[in-house]
Parts: sequence; structure tokens; C-alpha cells
Amino acid sequence: MKYHLITLGCQMNLSDSERVSAVLESIGYERTENEDEANLLGMLACSVRQKPIDKVYNKIAQWNRWKNKRNLITFVSGCILPADKEKFLKSFDLIFQMSELGQLPQMIREYGIVTPAMLKETRPVMPKNEYIAEMWHIKPKYQSTYEAFVPIQNGCDKFCTFCAVPYTRGREVSRPSAEIIDEVRHLVNQGYKSITLLGQNVNSYGLDKNGEEVNFAELLRQIGEFGKTSGEEFWVYFTSPHPQDMSRDVIEVIARYDCLAKQIHLPMQSGDERVLIKMNRRHSMDKYRRIVADIRELLPTATLFTDIIVGFTSEGEAEFQNTIAAMNEFRFNMAYIAMYSPRPGAASYRWENEVSQEDKKDRHHRLSEVLKVHSREYNETLVGKTVRVLVNGTDRKTGFSTGLTEGKINVRLDHFDAALMGKIVDVKITSAADFSLSCELLKVFSLSNQ
Amino acid sequence: MMSFIKPEIKIDESFYKVEEIRQLTDETFSLKLPKARFAFKAGQHISLGIKGDYQSREYSIYSGANDQNLEVLVKEVENGYFTPKLRKLKAGDLVEIHGPFGKFGIEPKDAENGKFVFIASGTGIAPFRSMVRTYPEMDYTLIHGVRYSTEAYDKHEYADDRYILCSSRDKKGTYNGRLTGYLKGCTFAPETHFYLCGNSDMIFDALEILKDKGFERDQIHCEVYF
Repeated sequence: MKYHLITLGCQMNLSDSERVSAVLESIGYERTENEDEANLLGMLACSVRQKPIDKVYNKIAQWNRWKNKRNLITFVSGCILPADKEKFLKSFDLIFQMSELGQLPQMIREYGIVTPAMLKETRPVMPKNEYIAEMWHIKPKYQSTYEAFVPIQNGCDKFCTFCAVPYTRGREVSRPSAEIIDEVRHLVNQGYKSITLLGQNVNSYGLDKNGEEVNFAELLRQIGEFGKTSGEEFWVYFTSPHPQDMSRDVIEVIARYDCLAKQIHLPMQSGDERVLIKMNRRHSMDKYRRIVADIRELLPTATLFTDIIVGFTSEGEAEFQNTIAAMNEFRFNMAYIAMYSPRPGAASYRWENEVSQEDKKDRHHRLSEVLKVHSREYNETLVGKTVRVLVNGTDRKTGFSTGLTEGKINVRLDHFDAALMGKIVDVKITSAADFSLSCELLKVFSLSNQ
Repeated sequence: MMSFIKPEIKIDESFYKVEEIRQLTDETFSLKLPKARFAFKAGQHISLGIKGDYQSREYSIYSGANDQNLEVLVKEVENGYFTPKLRKLKAGDLVEIHGPFGKFGIEPKDAENGKFVFIASGTGIAPFRSMVRTYPEMDYTLIHGVRYSTEAYDKHEYADDRYILCSSRDKKGTYNGRLTGYLKGCTFAPETHFYLCGNSDMIFDALEILKDKGFERDQIHCEVYF
């Protein structure tokens, strides 16, 4: 029996998909990348933008046509809005929340017994996360042998007006810190080099436990202590934090431990106070500015990434200029810039969006140009320097090996070497481009340990 | 077609029976529910859904943290999807509540010693009623901006010298005009903390006025109604 799994959206879904694979393989299914030969076809959906949802509808229409020719079971999970869930119930054989993943084998065995009407009668609209801990107990089937994602928290209580995640993943629930540390320890002992702690608001970690769990700074400190005694070199990242809950304590801990990567992803979304208020971001530009000042003071080598939405409701040219000014002030190494698209379920979906698609495209382009300047300026400061890189891929054009610095800047080596994959190496930067660096290999770091 | 349901969540504690729709004006009412089955801090909000409907909305809690009933304040939106359905609810109908959410609020120790100005437009008064009912001894002034003085929801619950009604379309308020006009003429003690709740335009304008008066952004706490 074979299964085919399509994962859409963010790293959280990627991490969830590793646990879905683990469950399916534990009951005898074998993964295939060829959907034509699979008996079980599944998708982890993403509701952040319309495009991935369109993809789910297109794919299930195709799969349901195939049912005329062969026996198939289809399922969907991940981030699903209540409105989409209603429609998915008509198209997919199985639909479940990640917190119910442990019951997937039973669902497959009992396929056809429980009806959606029963589901509609009793289930609350907002996903409930009481059983998410069971999902976290499932040992994931990691997709890589050197990079891994470790969920530390699920759900979101922030209610940003542009976002529907509180309605797709439920409220914030923190995973026990002992489990997180165990998973990190296991990964490091297995030779993993890049570990990303995942959650919708990682720095709210522990707050839902009312003092019965450590906070995010303490969680990082415990991981840092483990890193110090492990004798291994690895980098621990986290994504995404919310500026509202970002404290100087977190930055101080990162500064103290080598294994806590000097790269911070701090979503700004807009540089305009008025737009931030409209987005219900609950942080001011002053607060954001203080966090960046702390990062620059305590982590002088850190790279800084952000997320920005252009064309949000009420963003005029003046407000957009404030975002450009903020870009120039904070000099991000990378910004994931998105053109605003209203999401059903999010509060802003009910508002008129007066910004035209042309203006959104124009702002996206102008902001990208500003980003390019700052990114290149930083990259040029690295030319001639020795930098540590995790080799993790192959350049599509040249075929040479590629990697990421600790600060997650893309690096291209001057040759291909399959043996370097998943290794941390020292390289000398030879040239800089807007968003990448070229380098020559100096040495493979602590190869004996890898 | 199937889905797995754990028996434990079939009878779900998220559902509450409506006790009363308490009409306050032609458009605005308080949805009165049984006592909250969760602890909350005055100022927090909940997600409210109607059984059998897949949409939900967020509402600040209108009742005090120790009150016998959980209440939310709702203004019906003409041709809206959700609020007309809420208004048609009857005693015994089921609604779905999740939460509490948010950090907008006052810690008990601060409530004892602090000086507070609450600035609300329309139904943005909801979290402040919750705060006043929870901490009745608190040192506060509530500035409430409305169009008509009839929108002074449950005004009798506030001491006359603590409640300033700014009414923009009739002359029956403490101040006849927009809330922001009143605010410009005010002086406040430097240690005052300001809590703003209402539509984003009011919040932004009030924020600018308070910043112009020299108050730090950390003294100004905002909750946007959407």
C-alpha cells in the first residue's frame, strides 16, 4: 500500500507532514512521490493565501475523477478554515485536525462508518487543541538527515485582522519543554545541524500554562546548556516570534550560547503605526525599534529577517512611505514581502480593500528594490571573510553545491561535492550578489563527528 | 465519508445557553449567558459563534470577572452576516465561546494604585465596564464617545464624576462633540495610563493627541474593534 502526501504552506505544515508520514508508515504504508501509484492520497492544506486553497480544490477534483478507475482514499488536514472545511467534507473521504492524527489509522480502518452529519452536530467551529499533545508524541519521519523542525507550540491567540490562523489552528498551546529538549537532544545525537523551533508565536511559549511551564527565554537557555555540553556544532533557529512578546531576555540568551543561531526573524508587517493598529498587531513601532536596538547591541553579527504585507486596507502612499523608511532604518537582510489578499475568516475580509492590485504590485516592487540594496550592502561586507556554512543543496544552474550561513544567507560553492551535503564547512567568501554569496571551500568542520 | 470524533468533545463545554438578550438601544444589546466556565481578566475578549454556523466573531467581555453572568455587548450591523443572527437568538439557544484571549487589561495590583483614563467609542466601552465591575475601587475616568446620548450603555453603573459622555450628534452629553475634541482640552496627571478601545480611526487620533501631550507610548494601551 502506498501513500502520496502533498504539503502546502509553511514550515509548520512541513513539520506536521513528517508526523503524518510516521503514522502512515507505522501501519504499513510506503511513501511514493508518484501519485498515480498511491492508494492513499493526502494533502496538508494552507489557508494563509488563496492560491494554495485553489490548489487543494483542483487536486481533489482530479483525485475524485481517478476514483472511477481505482480504489482510493483521500484525506486533508493542516490549516483549514471553517468555510473551506464545509466544502472539503463533500470532496475528501477523511478530514481531521492535527490533534486527531493519532486516530488516523482507525479512521482509515473505519472508513465509511462515521458521517459528516454527526461531525457537524457536535463539533465546535474553532479547532480544539486538547489532544495536540498526542500528536506531539508521534515520532516524526524526518525528511532530511541534517535539517529538522521541532514544533514547540500550536495555535494563535493574537487575532491579527489579516490572518485566519486562530480559526484554523485554534488557540495557543505549548508543548512540554521536556519533550522539546528530548527531541532536540535526539536530533543532535543523530547528527542534525540545523534545528528550527516552530510555532505561530514561539515567544508566547509557556504563557498558556500560567506559570507551570518555562517561558521561551528559559527554553532557549536549556537548549543552549545542552548545546554547550554536547560537543557538537549545530544551529537552533526559531520562527515566528511576535514583537508583542519579544523580550530582551530572549536576545540575551541567544547571545550567551553558540548553538543558538545569530539570525532573528521578526515580522514587522508594516512600518506605519496606523496600519499596525488596523492590523491589530498590538505592538508599536517604538516597541519594534527597541527590540531591533537590543538585537544590534547584544547580537552584533546577527542577520535580521522580517515579513511585510503591502497594500493592506487603509495603506495609502504616505503609510507605505513609512514602511520604506522603516526598511531603511532596520536594514533587513531578508524580507518576505506579500501583497495583501483578503482571507475568508479573517476580520479584514469583511472590509473594503481600496488598494488596487497595480498599486500592490508597484509597492511590492519598490520595497523589494530597497531590500536588495540593504541585503547586498551586508553581503559585500562578508567578501574576503571566512564564514561557516551548512551545505544543503545544489545550484540548479551550475550544479555546484549550495548552503546557508548561520545567518541564513544563501551561499554557492565553486564546485559540487556530494560528500559535503549536510556538513558544516568553512568557506571563504569570494563575491556578493543581492541575495547570495559565492565562495570557495576552506575546510570541512569537525568531519569526524559527522 | 467519515471523520473521527473523540467522545469527550461531543458534549462540549464551549457551548453556552443564551439566558437573555438585554436590549440597550434599538441597535445595541447585551447577550447574557451563564457564568463563564473559564477565568478571565477584565479587558480580555472571547470568540463567539452560533451553533450550526461556521462563522465566529470576537467580542470584549462586557461583564466583570466575578459576575454571575458572562455578557458581551453587540451592536447590530445593518445587512451584516453575524450580528442580525445574534439579535434573533432566544433564551435557550446555544452559542459557542472560546477564550479568553488578549492582554488588554489591568493587573489587580495596578488597579489598586494606578490612575487610569479609559477612552472608548461606541461599544468599545465593553472592556471598561468589565474593568470597573471587577475593580470598583479603581481610580478611573471613562471618556465615552457616541453619536447620540442614548448610546450611553448602562451609564447608571458609573459614578457621575467618572463618566464623561461625548455626544457628537445631540446636545445631551457631558461634552457636545467628538471624543477627540474633548481629549484635546484635557490635562492628565503624568503617571496616568490610558486604555483605548474602539474603531481604529478613533484610536489613532486619540493616540496622536496623547503623544502630543507628552505621554509615552508605553502608557497608552490599545484594543482595536473590528
